[in-house]
Amino acid sequence: VAIAAVSAATRPHYGGTLRVEIQESIETPDPPQSGPGMADLSPAFSVTRWEGGRQATYSANNEAHGGRPFLESVEIQMNRPPRDQAIDLELRRADVVELAIGEVGRGAAARKMWVSAPVRLLALQFTPRVSDPRIREALALSIDRNAIHNVLLQRRGEVTGALLPQWISGYAFLFPTPVDLAKARSLVAELTPPARALALSYDDPAFRNIAERIAVNARDAGLAISVGLRNAAADLRLVEVRIASADPSRALAQLSVALALPEPPADALGSPEELVNAERGLLEGFRVIPLLHLPVVYGVAPRVKGGVGISPLGEWRFENLWIEESRP
Amino acid sequence: VAAVALLFLVVPSSPAADDPAGAAREMARKTLAFTRGPVSLTFRNFSSLPDSQLGPIRREMESALGTPDATPPTEARVTLSENSSEYLLVEEARRGDESRVWIASWKRAAPANAMAAEAALDNRLVWEQDEPILDVAFSGEWMIVLAPSRIAIYSQQASGWALRRTIVVELSHPLPRDPRGRLRVTGTRVQVLLSGVICSGTLDGEKFACQESSEPWVLDSGGRDLLLASFSASRNYFDGHVVLQNGSRKTGPPFYSAAAVQEASGLSWLLATVDGNTRVFSSSFDSVASIPGWGSDIAGLGTRCGEANPVLVTRPGDTSEPDSVQAFTLANHTPVPVSSPAPLSGPVTALWPLTSTSAVAVSRDLATGKYRAYVLTLRCGP
Repeated sequence: VAIAAVSAATRPHYGGTLRVEIQESIETPDPPQSGPGMADLSPAFSVTRWEGGRQATYSANNEAHGGRPFLESVEIQMNRPPRDQAIDLELRRADVVELAIGEVGRGAAARKMWVSAPVRLLALQFTPRVSDPRIREALALSIDRNAIHNVLLQRRGEVTGALLPQWISGYAFLFPTPVDLAKARSLVAELTPPARALALSYDDPAFRNIAERIAVNARDAGLAISVGLRNAAADLRLVEVRIASADPSRALAQLSVALALPEPPADALGSPEELVNAERGLLEGFRVIPLLHLPVVYGVAPRVKGGVGISPLGEWRFENLWIEESRP
Repeated sequence: VAAVALLFLVVPSSPAADDPAGAAREMARKTLAFTRGPVSLTFRNFSSLPDSQLGPIRREMESALGTPDATPPTEARVTLSENSSEYLLVEEARRGDESRVWIASWKRAAPANAMAAEAALDNRLVWEQDEPILDVAFSGEWMIVLAPSRIAIYSQQASGWALRRTIVVELSHPLPRDPRGRLRVTGTRVQVLLSGVICSGTLDGEKFACQESSEPWVLDSGGRDLLLASFSASRNYFDGHVVLQNGSRKTGPPFYSAAAVQEASGLSWLLATVDGNTRVFSSSFDSVASIPGWGSDIAGLGTRCGEANPVLVTRPGDTSEPDSVQAFTLANHTPVPVSSPAPLSGPVTALWPLTSTSAVAVSRDLATGKYRAYVLTLRCGP
């Protein structure tokens, strides 16, 4: 029987600094107290250095519930473009970096990754001035989500016609995602030519390809969509909303607020059937067109041990991680 | 297709069912009220349950709805699905232009708490629980399970282990995140060693006293050889200060676990050190060799396999990977495997000698997150 040549111990080591890089630049005077990411570090870690928009350091809390974390500290570099993050991970200058969805497939087999459940809803959101439901429905019927999923996203995440992902609701399959160009064209034919032109804005450059693909699909239905980055005057936006709860009623309420949809009454979200009804109500009229549910993906250096450092919702769970330094 | 789907009417809900059969009966009742005639049913499974779970649901519904003769006017698709807290049975029924959706649900059941099963490779599961298990010991009819915050004493009954007492361990400071603990049982007397705390009492007595203590732990190897070692109270390792059986005090590197091995050349101590190696020390505690590639938990056994007594060794790896335990002996301070690895479903979180031929291994099951205690028994060949 051969003895394994790998030199690593199963039991956690104390000490070391976890170096994390993120794209977001949080330029507040104080560190964030809520939302995904840094706020998740508390109370196992306490912030000891805060330079808004640049970097933050969190140190292990001796009195943390469940015992002091194994890591001595966590250093977070903000405002790091995705490409720089990938390079820093490759050069071992970072331990945990965000991976853009397009980056995930590259060298994935050799790369250590943490992948959450699909918790990022990618959707189209119309501004109130696009008041004719026919144009919204025509666009919904023209989008080939499967092509986007297969080609642009390399099958990461899930195609959806629902706001809540299947793993949270259990009924997302009840919301179909049909492509019906014939019906879309007939709806567009009822519109005046000026009404057939729309401006689509996307906030994250990583989604430019998806926005352009939607414009191509829309053209097949007779719509003329121009695509631009962070266009405040756009008629519709390609938005990403991060789901913050695995509880379906809470998640639906959160999404409705984030997407400027009427929030369903809390007492009408008790059972799965009530949730389906509420979600159908929110999507009626095509004010929002759900497209995809995507995971949060981190690239992780080989020296980071202790299992997956994020929850299914993508929350940071660094208290059980440790650093395995190279052995003599 | 979209237009039809959007016409689906989701009817008001009813309370969650108790089980799949109850959910199926509820579905059948609603379907009958809608159709009043034969229904063609199709089934699919989107859940993590095996497809075989659809069998009883199908039988329940078909029995209530009857088997359609020719082409029935109503078609219904039944989907077994799930979310994080419930299983869902979703029925989409269509009769002409009319459509309905019903959803029945039942709570996801927690797996059974304790089980006992005989496994291959002399690897016997003796206990399973949600809370970490630091050590398990046996004495006569008793089984003692040590968790970070309590000591549970069970007695053997015909139906399995029955809980007799639970002693809560009050701590003035939190235990380390990777807590360690050791049970030493002599007859009915029990000593519990935790980070910075020692408790003692008897299995049948009323009192069980705990106090803060920096006393060294007694590390044995299922035989006569003992080592006293100081445990670092706020960490998960011994600090390297040891007392040998002849009373001499020695200082070595910090280590996670230790085992005595009787080689042909005499006694050696193995220390699984925090640097990831296992160091071999002579009986006078001189470092004589290093063994790479073992995990951080080792346990010596008192029995002999050939010329030497064996040591059980975990595999190196991460806490997100399955683990295994393998028996080795030493020949000239070089490890010689004497068994195949016994696979475990998650990382080993504790490994302590139990008898001269057995050890307790605790692993955290990667699928369920539960802690499972096994008795690993080594039977050496003739």
